[in-house]
Amino acid sequence: MKQNDLIIVGAGPTALTAAIYTTREDIDTVLIEKGAIGGLIATTDWVDNYPGFAEGISGLDMADRFQKQAERFGAVIELDEVLSIKPIDKLIAVSTTTGERLAKAVLIATGSDYKKLGIPGEDTYYARGVHYCATCDGAFYRGKRLVVTGGGNSAVQEALFLTKFATHIDLLVRSTLKASDVLLHDLEKNEKITVHLGVTTDEIIGDGSRVTEVIGTDIRTNKKIEFVTDGVFIFIGLKPTAEFLRSTAIEFDSIGFIKTDENLRTAIKGVFAAGDVRSGATMQVASACGEGATAALRIREYLEGHSQKV
Amino acid sequence: MVKDITIYTTNTCVYCVMVKKWLGSKNISYNEVNLDVNPERAQEPVDLTGQLAVPVTVVTKDDDSKEVIVGYNLAKLAPAVA
Repeated sequence: MKQNDLIIVGAGPTALTAAIYTTREDIDTVLIEKGAIGGLIATTDWVDNYPGFAEGISGLDMADRFQKQAERFGAVIELDEVLSIKPIDKLIAVSTTTGERLAKAVLIATGSDYKKLGIPGEDTYYARGVHYCATCDGAFYRGKRLVVTGGGNSAVQEALFLTKFATHIDLLVRSTLKASDVLLHDLEKNEKITVHLGVTTDEIIGDGSRVTEVIGTDIRTNKKIEFVTDGVFIFIGLKPTAEFLRSTAIEFDSIGFIKTDENLRTAIKGVFAAGDVRSGATMQVASACGEGATAALRIREYLEGHSQKV
Repeated sequence: MVKDITIYTTNTCVYCVMVKKWLGSKNISYNEVNLDVNPERAQEPVDLTGQLAVPVTVVTKDDDSKEVIVGYNLAKLAPAVA
C-alpha cells in the first residue's frame, strides 16, 4: 500500500500553502482533490483583497499560481475523492475512490461550498436556470435578465461579474447588504443592478425546461413579488465540506465545521484541520493561507515526534 | 475505443480547466470549443444536454456513439474515455 508522510485532503489555498511549507521541509506530501484545484477561490471572478497583487488577480490565475508554487517544491496533486479516514496503529488510512493509502499525518483542508436555499424549484431547475457559479455559467446569459440572491461579498461580486452578460439583475437581499465598502461602491455605480433589501427568495418557477420567474416576499409588507427572469444565481453563504468525516471520531460544531484545538489538531491523533472547513474560520483567502502555514508547522512538529516513536 | 473528444468551455470556468487538466494528466487529446471565442456555438452544448452549463464533454466512440458529460465529473468521465 502507498504511504506518504502527509496526505492533504483538498487543494485550495489552505492545502496548497501547507504543501508549499511541508515540501520545502522534505515532507513527502500528496494532495487529493475531488473538485477544482484552488477550491472556491478558483471560481471567483476577481480577488482584490489578497496582499501582493496591487491590481488584484483573477481567482483562476491565483489558483494556478498556488498550484505551480506547491508543485515547484515537489507537492503531488492527485485528482481523486477521499471517502473516509481511519487511524491504524500510528498511521492514518485514507480511503479514496481508487484505493487506500497510508499517511503519518493527514490535513483536512476541504474548505466549504455554497449553500442551497432549499426552496421549491431549486433542484428542478438546477443548471437550467439555477446556478451557483457565475464564472462557470454566466456566459449563457448574454442579453438576458437575472436574479442574484444574497447580500454578502460573493453575491455582490458575482452580481457585478454577471453584468458583463446580463442586461439587468435583480439582487434579492433578505436583510441588509454585508459586502465590503469597495464592492458596495461598485454596486451603487452599476446601473444594471437593482437591489431589493428585505426581500426573501421563496420559489423558482419555470416552464418545465427553463426558469421564467422568481417569487420573493417583501418582509416589511409581507407582499409577494414576482421577478421575471431567465435565471437565478444563489450566493447565500457557505457550508463546510466535511460530510465524508461524519462517521469518524472527528468532532464538529453545531453547523458542521470541524473542531480543532489551538494547534489545529482534531480529535483523531495525527489528523489536523485548517481553513474554511474549520470551526472559527473567517472564510478569507488570506486567513486560509495563514492557517495552511500554521498547520504545516504543527504537522512538522508532529512528524518529528512521530519519527522518534515509529 | 474513443475516436474523438470535444469539450465546450468558457474562459472563466474552473471546472473546464479541471476537465482539461485531468485529460492532460492521462495524455488524452481533445478538441476545445471556447464559447467566449465562439459565442455563436453556445446553443450546441445546450442542445446536447438541455442544461445551461459548462464544461460539456462529448466523447465520440469508434462506432460514432456519443457520451455527453456535464461538469467535472470523474465518476462519469473516467469510464467514458477508458
